[in-house]
Amino acid sequence: MEGKKSPLLSAFLSLIPGLGQIYAGAPLQGAALLLAIVVTALLIQWQGSTFLYVGIILAWLWGVGDAYSLAQGRQISLVPPFLIIGVIVYIIGWQVTDIKLMRLITDVADIKPLVSNLLQPAVLERDIETQKAEVIFESPCSDSPPEKGTPLEDEPYLIILDKTCGEVGETFTIEGGNFWPSSRGQIWWLNMAGEMKRRIRQEGEYLTFQTDEKGRIPPLTIVAPEAFGEARGKGPQRSRVQALLKREVGTIHPSHTFFLVAEKMMETIFLALMATTVAIVFAIPVSFLAARNLMGGTPITMGFYYLTRTILNILRSIEPLIMAIVFVVWVGLGPFAGVLALAVHSVAALGKLYSEAVESIDPGPIEAITATGANRLQTIVYAVIPQIVPPYVAFTVYRWDINVRMSTIIGFVGGGGIGYLLQQWIRLLMYREAGAAVWAIAIVVWALDYASAIVREKIV
Amino acid sequence: MLQVEHLTKIYEDGTLALDDVSFEVPDGEFLVILGLSGAGKSTLLRCINRLIEPTEGRIVWDGTDITAASGEELRKIRRHIGFIFQEFNLVERSSVLTNVLSGRLGYVNPWQSIIRFPQEEVKRAMRNLERVGITDLAPKRADDLSGGQRQRVGIARALMQEPRLMLADEPVASLDPVLAHSILRYLEQLNREDGITVICSLHFLDLVRRYGSNVVGLKDGRVVFQGRPDEITDQRFKEIYGQEAERITVT
Repeated sequence: MEGKKSPLLSAFLSLIPGLGQIYAGAPLQGAALLLAIVVTALLIQWQGSTFLYVGIILAWLWGVGDAYSLAQGRQISLVPPFLIIGVIVYIIGWQVTDIKLMRLITDVADIKPLVSNLLQPAVLERDIETQKAEVIFESPCSDSPPEKGTPLEDEPYLIILDKTCGEVGETFTIEGGNFWPSSRGQIWWLNMAGEMKRRIRQEGEYLTFQTDEKGRIPPLTIVAPEAFGEARGKGPQRSRVQALLKREVGTIHPSHTFFLVAEKMMETIFLALMATTVAIVFAIPVSFLAARNLMGGTPITMGFYYLTRTILNILRSIEPLIMAIVFVVWVGLGPFAGVLALAVHSVAALGKLYSEAVESIDPGPIEAITATGANRLQTIVYAVIPQIVPPYVAFTVYRWDINVRMSTIIGFVGGGGIGYLLQQWIRLLMYREAGAAVWAIAIVVWALDYASAIVREKIV
Repeated sequence: MLQVEHLTKIYEDGTLALDDVSFEVPDGEFLVILGLSGAGKSTLLRCINRLIEPTEGRIVWDGTDITAASGEELRKIRRHIGFIFQEFNLVERSSVLTNVLSGRLGYVNPWQSIIRFPQEEVKRAMRNLERVGITDLAPKRADDLSGGQRQRVGIARALMQEPRLMLADEPVASLDPVLAHSILRYLEQLNREDGITVICSLHFLDLVRRYGSNVVGLKDGRVVFQGRPDEITDQRFKEIYGQEAERITVT
């Protein structure tokens, strides 16, 4: 570096960061320093951690000193200021993304029930047998309150011991008999039509009971709850009080959830298959248009090449999830929307991969086959196709594999398949069912991944 | 008789690959094209069967103007001209048999050839593989073969064309020197026993002396030597290869 530059002037110019370096013969580094300091300062201003300006000042001071020594002919050394700026960027990044590592430890209990439910997927079950009996309670009292009920000989029964009507919040006592001995049961509250019901709570906990060895429900005190929805406050309303016992009987068999998951999993696989197939049909001709070695002949064909490439790049940059939302709005909820979303994305992805396979073919065999006097069709069949079929097949199997994985996500926005079930179960907090879906996805994805790896290995 | 008349090739980027090249090749000759890399040897050979379009000049073969032919006529001419490549140019993922059969594409019914070759052509392919001594490799994939074996497949493929003229572009440059002779001996055999005219580009003077009956020396696209191999003196050699060139011996 020439020492003709004035060190003092260089240092003075560096009061605007980087300007000294630009003056002293390192324009690129100077410009980079200026840009980095300005951008970082703006980031600090935006994020609000003003103490970080200390770092900016340090970087700036170093820049001044460096500009001075650079003009003296010494080596440029901008590593420290860039390091400081790097640290600042990561500090801002830490705060912006709200990283709270302690939460991982302190709140670990929250995840336990979820994990244990996911680990016990609802795939197997036994039949459920129930026993129930009801009495009627009225709130508030009318002129003719309901009867207290009568103990029965053989069937389960429920009776009210004290009063069959009262205000909300008043207590009454029930008793029952002829239930299964030594079993736990629940108390439910139903409207007369029976289409509305809820479990009765006492001090926040669900009210339960235990039958004795003769199957009797011991006297149980109940606080009269509010009537259901619209009936509230509209004079005397009758409600049903129900004692309910459940027990599992018979052999273990696949659950309803299991069959539902299996059915939707098949739908998912077919969804991916249809999307991939549609994509192949369109991607093959597109791939020839997007191959530079085939389209390089004239400016017109080059124009098609650039046009195709641009469209492919734009399509590929749109997430399939967003396309699924568009198609759900267009053709309605269900797997067809998912097929369309994945197909469009796959055309773009496969078109690019295919065209790269075409671009990488060896021109030698084409030359050799042409030299034998073969016509164009024969040349394509004997020299081009053997070269592109293996990569095409490999890319296609890989794409199908990706599409199965993606279609589970597509389902979250209504694009059909198992994802649709999964998001419903998650929202309803049915984690054991969700667990079954998660396991099914994992198994299918693993199997397809394995299969596609084998296919690719054999072919390429 | 093959006549090359004032052949000139200028590539799109302006490179002058061949500059007014003229020579004649009588039937049954083993002509060697000698020259450095980039001297225009490959371009010259490819112009003869029109893999590359010449810019100017004519190539006349037994009275037919190859340079004027097109379409079906050009394919009919091509099928009588075998071509052996430096890099073999086999279809790597196809079997040896398929590679050899593809040499017959100029003869068979195009639509039939897309499905499968007739049995007699398969027999012909096996005979040609026998001729180059690799019958047992027929079912193997071309990319399982060694360089020497690949070039034999290349020769068998060219033989399927029942050629009257064989063009060979540096057929041994990608092979071990020890394999060079075994490949060139096949060409010599074809030349002597079958009377096939051979035009072969080569690097090494010793191979030229051993196999060539006539030599055309190329430098920067121009013919700088024409004569018999034994007429290449050290002075001539330097004219073809440049002043710094030293002769290397190949055993």
